[in-house]
Amino acid sequence: MSPNILDEAIDVWFGPQHVSAHGWATKLTLVGDYIVKCDPNAGYFHRSAEKVLEYRTFRQGSLVMERMCMLEAFLAEYPYVAAVEKIAELEVPDRAKVMRTIMMELSRLHSIQFWWGQFNAELGFFTMALWPWVDREYSLDAFEELTGSRHTVSFSTPGGTRFDFNEKVLKQINRAVKRFEDRLPKFRDMQMGSPTFRARTKGIGQYTAKQGLKWGLSGPPIKACGIPMDLRKDAPDSNLAYNLCDWEVPITENPDHPGESDALDRMEQRFKEAETSVEIIKQLLPQLPEGPIIDAKARAKVNRLPAGEAYGRVEGTRGITSLWLKTQDKAQSAYRAKIRGPCFASYYALKDLVPGAKFADFIVIFGSLDPYPGWWDR
Amino acid sequence: MVGPVNGGVMLQFDFFTWLAGIPDWIYGILQWIINLVLGVFYWAWGIIEWLWAMVFSPANFMFLFRAVLFPGLIFVVLTLIWAVWFTRKLWGRIQDRRGPFHIGKYGGLQLFADAIKLIGKETIIPDNAKRWMFRFLPCLLLVVVLLPFCFIPWDFDFWYISDLSVSLVLVFAFLTAVPVVSLLAGWVSGCKYSLIGGFRAANNQFAAEIPMIVSSAGPAMLAGSLSLMGIAQAQTSVWFAVVLPVNLATFLIAAIASVGVFPFDAPVADSEIIFGWRTEFTGIYFTLTYFAEFAEQMLYSAIIVALFLGGPVGLPFLPGAVNFTIKFIITFFFFVLVSSSFQRLRQDQIVHYCWRYLLPLALLNVIFAMLAIVYLPELAALLPLGGP
Repeated sequence: MSPNILDEAIDVWFGPQHVSAHGWATKLTLVGDYIVKCDPNAGYFHRSAEKVLEYRTFRQGSLVMERMCMLEAFLAEYPYVAAVEKIAELEVPDRAKVMRTIMMELSRLHSIQFWWGQFNAELGFFTMALWPWVDREYSLDAFEELTGSRHTVSFSTPGGTRFDFNEKVLKQINRAVKRFEDRLPKFRDMQMGSPTFRARTKGIGQYTAKQGLKWGLSGPPIKACGIPMDLRKDAPDSNLAYNLCDWEVPITENPDHPGESDALDRMEQRFKEAETSVEIIKQLLPQLPEGPIIDAKARAKVNRLPAGEAYGRVEGTRGITSLWLKTQDKAQSAYRAKIRGPCFASYYALKDLVPGAKFADFIVIFGSLDPYPGWWDR
Repeated sequence: MVGPVNGGVMLQFDFFTWLAGIPDWIYGILQWIINLVLGVFYWAWGIIEWLWAMVFSPANFMFLFRAVLFPGLIFVVLTLIWAVWFTRKLWGRIQDRRGPFHIGKYGGLQLFADAIKLIGKETIIPDNAKRWMFRFLPCLLLVVVLLPFCFIPWDFDFWYISDLSVSLVLVFAFLTAVPVVSLLAGWVSGCKYSLIGGFRAANNQFAAEIPMIVSSAGPAMLAGSLSLMGIAQAQTSVWFAVVLPVNLATFLIAAIASVGVFPFDAPVADSEIIFGWRTEFTGIYFTLTYFAEFAEQMLYSAIIVALFLGGPVGLPFLPGAVNFTIKFIITFFFFVLVSSSFQRLRQDQIVHYCWRYLLPLALLNVIFAMLAIVYLPELAALLPLGGP
């Protein structure tokens, strides 16, 4: 053994051709089986979305935004819509508010179900990967019935929504919720009760709340540390209907290390998030008011916006998703749009979080933060 | 002719003497040719006679039939194809999907289609790879895994290929070579992921081999024999699974760990190291390694049947080989079931679990079996103690 252990280190590129690296590449320096250095590299998934937004009209902008993360399309398109609504000073009808909230929560549920499957596939348990993916189809059916598309939904538009609920959509939302609730006890048992899962995730990727906040994490990775930081409660959006229902911000406490979270806590947190989403959907569905779905003056107002700046944000599945929009007078498209994706922080948190971990645990740490490459390559 | 002729020396070339010698010369050439042809003919005839004596004498013919057709190569390869189909179908059913169903009845021909596709693919050998070893090792792997099938006691009389007094040891000797081949394959591939996967394969064997051999020591001691056939014959009155249930479980788990399928698939963990030591193999070489994995699972299933589940002993109205095959399918079902029910363990956890839990459990069961023999004479009477 040489005095400097880095002399015996090897560099391993995790991506971009790696099977579990879909659009990202991280350089890992290994000494034996341990990672001593982690170098995340953004840029392999870059689609110039911010530049594209400068060339699209304000009604087209949300279509670009939903492609940032198609797993949570209803949530991803909302920050842009919110920013445009602030600048244009549009009034959103009540029905549109409730519909938006319901679909955003269903989108969150769907995204979490996808993440369960993906995380279990990364852990080598493909059975538990496919079971949530079957349930996810029920939400996708509702999306398809409502908007005609499974992923690129284009639901919210400045001033309201593009599509209206009908009987079949409501039935399918109820089906998705019921399916989730039926299978939840079994899933929880299979996931949290599995000895191999606990062995792989307990104490892995552990960080304190202070570290997490320093890295800029938000959403489930920070709520798993026991901090109830949630935009839905902290900064209620007047164009959404979270105030109509009664719910608590879900948090998870690590029994051994209060104020810290490991991969197991983050899985538990995802279960609670999904339960909260379902609770919100169930409370909002009976409160769905009748009426128009879009501001009557929206089309005229959104064609040309006055000069202004606005900041739209939403609590996404992976954390705070926001967009800053600047317009010039009588502009047809944005002067500048700056997207703040939740996963840029969680991807670059790996730089401090991963060194010292075993090579086999890298994908567990990475997966437990639920990063989506679309959110860090804008 | 010029030179010594008829006791004198001919100083002058005699054309007519030379002319008279030509028929002799031609006759000599003809004789030489005839002798050559006859020699070749008798040589070939000898070979044919020898082959006839070797192959078509009833005893030898049936041996070849067994070695090549029924419990031998063709049967094992067909079972292998069936095993891949069975695994995929069962995984599909467990995972809320249907498995292969397009080609053939219930997707039965899917494997042949896959094999043709894989063989037809381009074989890519990386620049950094050691070319000849890269080509040789997958073939060696399949051979090493298929060879021990000749010691499997499919039936007590006639329907088995060979029986050695130390066949259990020999089978383990063959199987120990498998991770060595994996490690070498990882080494010669010239890829970091392959190398890491190769070391992980060696690590798996390192973890699983000791519990597995200790578990198999129980049946060997109870039967007083190191031959798989002898161990199977010792179970005519009571299966060793009754006396050594924990050893059966530890052997099964250690066998799964040794093969490196799902809960213990660190050597080929696709989300961590792409495909481990198999990363660089393409086309036919990938097919060979893929089949070798299933062949190893089948081999362990067959060994479990022989060691613990009575071998050919079973329903009396069925032939022994059929009984063996039924139990073999049931054991293989457990392989598939376990491999679709757990998250992957890390390689240090594999060593930890195998040595900390499997090894003491296996040892304890052997000790309990010994105590039971001493204190329960009824049980001891059922076992052929002191050798068959």
